[in-house]
Amino acid sequence: MNVEGLDASILAPAFFAGLIVLMTHIPLGHEVLRRGIIFIDIAVAQIAGLGVIIAYTLGWQEHGVESQIAAVTSALLGAWILSSLEKKYGKHQEALIGTSFILASTGGILLLANNPHGGEHLKELLVGQILWVEWKQLVHAAIVSLSVLFVWARFRSKIGSLGFYLLFAIAITVSVQLVGVYLVFTSLIVPALATIGYSAKSWPGLSVLIGICGYASGLILSALLDLPSGAVIVWTIVVSALLIKLVIPSKAR
Amino acid sequence: MRMLFRPGLFVGLVTLLCTYSGTTWAALSVFACEPEWAALVEELGGDRLEIYSATTAQQDPHQIQARPSLIAKARKADLLVCTGAELEIGWLPLLLRKAGNARIQVGQAGHFLAAEYTDMLEVPDKLDRSLGDIHASGNPHVHTDPRNILRVADPLTQRLKAVDPDHADDYQQRYQAFKAKWQDAIDDWSQRAAVVEGKNIVVHHDYWSYFTHWLGLNKVATLEPVVGVSPSTRHLAQVKQLLEKQPAVMIVDTSYMNDRPVMWLSEQTGLPVVTLPATVDYHGGETLLQWFERLVVRMLEPLK
Repeated sequence: MNVEGLDASILAPAFFAGLIVLMTHIPLGHEVLRRGIIFIDIAVAQIAGLGVIIAYTLGWQEHGVESQIAAVTSALLGAWILSSLEKKYGKHQEALIGTSFILASTGGILLLANNPHGGEHLKELLVGQILWVEWKQLVHAAIVSLSVLFVWARFRSKIGSLGFYLLFAIAITVSVQLVGVYLVFTSLIVPALATIGYSAKSWPGLSVLIGICGYASGLILSALLDLPSGAVIVWTIVVSALLIKLVIPSKAR
Repeated sequence: MRMLFRPGLFVGLVTLLCTYSGTTWAALSVFACEPEWAALVEELGGDRLEIYSATTAQQDPHQIQARPSLIAKARKADLLVCTGAELEIGWLPLLLRKAGNARIQVGQAGHFLAAEYTDMLEVPDKLDRSLGDIHASGNPHVHTDPRNILRVADPLTQRLKAVDPDHADDYQQRYQAFKAKWQDAIDDWSQRAAVVEGKNIVVHHDYWSYFTHWLGLNKVATLEPVVGVSPSTRHLAQVKQLLEKQPAVMIVDTSYMNDRPVMWLSEQTGLPVVTLPATVDYHGGETLLQWFERLVVRMLEPLK
């Protein structure tokens, strides 16, 4: 046991980062499951990463606004391509997403073949670690996430498939830098998966409950057991999902 | 899971937490980035110090996973001892910012970088992006030359004295004792390892540059010229060709690295692989002296 890490000023920014991620990922995750395109988050994150690497090899600054622009632009471009592929080859969309993920990640390796040091930097830039989050970052992320949520809530029926893909690209580019790929995937898929079969009234609340319990207990456990926070939270979100399923049976069963 | 939320346990935990944080530490708190500096500072300060090592001997110090305790330790540290030379560039700046501890920020007395006190090897002549791996300050693995440990020990003692002037005499005495002990050990190791001088070796990655420089070993080739990137087929062919011209006696690997590339080369060439312990097993209670002894013995094994 290690109580030293149980310090609100250390854990609070990380917890709020979790809340911001959950805010967009719970509704979007539900949609992702409905469309059956589970690995799209990882693919989009990887494409955003590839964009930053391309910008870097072209001699752009590796930190700051330039790389953010590169990340968002390429994520949007990737989302647009994936959305048009869906229209044409809807049945094989998951396979196409998988292939684009592999192409984006190996493309990065090829571009950086002579520059591993740069690669290290870029990996950190793209895959955030939840404990390193700072308040200033959270403000930016919260503004973007609230806008995404607002558009999704108000105009969902009007924006169509392309609109969904574009919103998704923005949400993922923001969240992956806060909490990393593992937590993005977990926040997106696990609460949505656990609440399949619950009524339209109850699934949003239950998903939020799963997410909040998962992040809170994961952060506390990682402090007590002195383990990397991101990996612990992945496990506690899944455990929270199982507990909720046990405690509150869905009507469908 | 439910156990955790029992009210009794919770109250107990909170009480424990309050008493814990209320305790004032008489000891000076030291945050070391790598085990070798934790072990060195322990030699110089002994029980007077409360030492925390952020990485273990099995870990790659380039990378680190953020844990809450890491930030907590940095927050209360009076002295930070790291390698520098960009080794911790991926995480130390973030940690310092998160910790918000004025005592250990860059430029303060509590911020000590070992590589500032050693001669650096492999410093690039010119900084050019096209050259790829940019380690502007040179190879950061300075602790693999035992003479560097002494070069660092002196300024580190001065720093301990500056941070904790009340016990300056004690640090000085301990430094003198360590210096004598370590100097004797260096003489002994140099003598025993003299047989390897001028011998050719292949290294997995340039972790051992200072070590081989000290012993006069001749590095014929580096298997993975850049860390984290698998060698290209052309590079592997070049290494094999080089070895035919300049036969080596062994392949030197680093304990925390993936051993597949060296195993491949060993199978291709029949050369023995020697996996050297990257640093002192501080968490396992090993001292610097014991680690270096292990290192020298391990390296001499294939030459018997």
